[in-house]
Amino acid sequence: MIHQSLMNILKNLVCKTRGLPLLKLGTVFAVLLLPCLALAQDAATQAMSVEYRDIPGMGSRNLIWIVAQQHLLLAGFVLGVPIFAWVCEIVGWKTNEPRYDKLAKEFTKLLTSAYATTALFGGILLFLLIGLYPKLMAYLTDIFFPSFIAYCILFLFETATLYMYWYGWDAMQGKKKAFHLFLGFLLNLFALGIMIVPNAWATFQASPVVVADGTDIERAWAAMQNPTWWPVNIHRLIANVVLGGFICGAYAGVRYLLAVSREEKEHYDWMGYVGNFIGVFGMLPLPFAGYWLMREIYQYNQQMGITLMGGFLAWLFILQAMLIGVLFLGANYYFWMGISYRIPGSAQSYKKPIMAMLIVLMVCLGVWMTPHSLVASLEEARKMGGTHHPMLGVFGVMSAKMTVSNLMILVTFMSFIMYWRAGKVETAGWAKIAKSVMGALLVIAGIAVIVLGVWGYFVPAIIRINYFSVAQVLIVLFIMVTFTPLTALLMKSAKTTTEMVWGQMPIRAGYSLVLNAVMVILLMSLMGYARSSSRVHWHIYGVMRDTSEYAYSPALGYAAAFMSLNTFLFCLLVAFIFWVASMGGDKSKGPQKEEPKGSQEKLPEGLTPAMAGGSPRKGE
Amino acid sequence: MSEVALLQLIGLSVVGLGIVILLFIKAMFVRVLGFVAMVLGSFSLVALSVPQMASLPPAIESFDIASVKTPDDLASIGQKIFFSKGQCALCHSIGPSESARCPDLAGVGAKLAPEFIYESLTDPQSYIYLDFRHEGLPEEYPARMPYINKNPIALSKPEIFSVIAFLQKMSGEPISIKVEDVMDMGQEEKSVKMASLKDGAL
Repeated sequence: MIHQSLMNILKNLVCKTRGLPLLKLGTVFAVLLLPCLALAQDAATQAMSVEYRDIPGMGSRNLIWIVAQQHLLLAGFVLGVPIFAWVCEIVGWKTNEPRYDKLAKEFTKLLTSAYATTALFGGILLFLLIGLYPKLMAYLTDIFFPSFIAYCILFLFETATLYMYWYGWDAMQGKKKAFHLFLGFLLNLFALGIMIVPNAWATFQASPVVVADGTDIERAWAAMQNPTWWPVNIHRLIANVVLGGFICGAYAGVRYLLAVSREEKEHYDWMGYVGNFIGVFGMLPLPFAGYWLMREIYQYNQQMGITLMGGFLAWLFILQAMLIGVLFLGANYYFWMGISYRIPGSAQSYKKPIMAMLIVLMVCLGVWMTPHSLVASLEEARKMGGTHHPMLGVFGVMSAKMTVSNLMILVTFMSFIMYWRAGKVETAGWAKIAKSVMGALLVIAGIAVIVLGVWGYFVPAIIRINYFSVAQVLIVLFIMVTFTPLTALLMKSAKTTTEMVWGQMPIRAGYSLVLNAVMVILLMSLMGYARSSSRVHWHIYGVMRDTSEYAYSPALGYAAAFMSLNTFLFCLLVAFIFWVASMGGDKSKGPQKEEPKGSQEKLPEGLTPAMAGGSPRKGE
Repeated sequence: MSEVALLQLIGLSVVGLGIVILLFIKAMFVRVLGFVAMVLGSFSLVALSVPQMASLPPAIESFDIASVKTPDDLASIGQKIFFSKGQCALCHSIGPSESARCPDLAGVGAKLAPEFIYESLTDPQSYIYLDFRHEGLPEEYPARMPYINKNPIALSKPEIFSVIAFLQKMSGEPISIKVEDVMDMGQEEKSVKMASLKDGAL
């Protein structure tokens, strides 16, 4: 059975190689791995006798760690990019602006380049898992085999759809555009399937359910529906968009730094802006999805929740706060630079709000990073009367952290709204009332979040978790879902006072885009380690114990060094893939040569009206 | 040199290399790589400055029926099986729980006879219970009871009776399972296995 599934995966690899140099490269590599089939066959027959194999020197777990991390990060990228590439294409189709279509095509180009490498690492990971962890893989295969078949079929459909979507881009313009958009929808649908099926395998390891008797399909379906499956699906779906957005942003940032011509600078400045916008857009609801996941983990097994939040992994969440904090600061900084450099004359008028936002973000980050128990010497601990600081100790608990994370989301959202409104004057008669209502709502929301946070100290934990924290999340979500359409309505009739200038951003803007991408990659690596380590010494929590010499979870410092290595390798890999992909492009054309006739050419070079998520044509 | 000190040294070197690249190298792509290296090195150094705790696995305990001397020993083994190999705690709780997806087993050892519990574990479809712990009509529990004596759990007869002994003990009941009976079951299972192996060989 394993042999059969391997053959299917290899067929997939071979099938999707036609036309793309990287895909061919992947196929050649996969063929070179054919001897592993023998290993797989061997593993299947010996599964009962051999529990583990090791890689001398390096260790089997370290090798799996590197390969799995590269595969997961690449997979996150290739599953996240089609979502916003498709949305970009729809925007271009609806607004009749070819540059959105062009951007969507550029995103898809990056996707096709990364797709084969993702599959390649998936194949390597599979072979390594079968070879190094035969007992575990035999157990999972016994339960999940029908889902393996479903996965292969989804992969075939995804590959076929990606071919048609990519190669048919130019051919399916005009009347055929609707069909091309339908292909984009299918691509995302299959991508969703490809993501949620393996998620079931991984979440089953963390939150297994008892698999009763029944047919193979019934058993696989029962195991898939484990308590953390859907929380992880939703969390990963959003996180993939964030990862994809920030990586595209970083790609644009590097291209911006390397750009020589003005046209290139303008194009990659705009692309970087869109990438950052997508990343931030996805990042805002991400903590809510993370909160839901943690809640489910606590509900499933309190001990696992305690291991994560209060056990040996507790300090990990301080590092997580640092990374998220830097990411929030980086994303906001990029917005603020956009206001200062792209909208001439705005720097002075927005100086005070930007300063206020920066202070709020820094204070919130300080609270979020305050640990519950301080690292203190015996003498220091005696002076403090314990490991809890007499004053800062109150910031170390969940009530404070939930409050500041919600405030940071609120500030970032307002940064985005500020950017959207910069350089424009509202002309609608009801604009003044709307702005007053929005201002009042914002103040009330901020106060309500803080009051609930402080009140949370005086109620039982279950009340805080079930009601107060949920209320804080709902308040922030309410602000986001009411302000966005209201601002869009206001901006529809707004008069542009200052034209937006692209390609004028300083060099540090490019670096901030790279920093954001690195933070997201590190965050995904860190939380992957947290999820894996929360199973402690179990391959399948409470069901199959890890009896290998690597059953321990390494300390945070060692793990962080490994995450850094993985992140660096991933950056190099992505840079290589994008470099190879860029060799296929026609540089002589220049990125802005296909700009639409009309409004763009009437404007001075580099000028377009300011608008969040891109700029409309002049006069619209 | 300790592992932490070595990693700190590597982290510092990486940060230093990043700074040198940013100061002296003009090629933009290399400068970006230097910047990334500096960020990653700094992250590692921060992570190395917090308390370093590895999570070590507890010693593996074996369920050796032969070592059982008293009913309490039996119940103690049953408790371990309940929370590990038997996977009972994946669905059942002992005492009220919001997350339990199957009946609460508190006091079950006092309410039900060992034979009945044994039948419920090995032939779970004989008696179907519904969840009455809410308003309105009773509902089926979210998880179905598996056959405990079959794969993937596959507890042996002595192991199942050890779990029943544990259920009796935690219900405050005197343990009615006899150690000698459990020993006999173990012997019986061994001889059945031997016989089937011989049949297979023939």
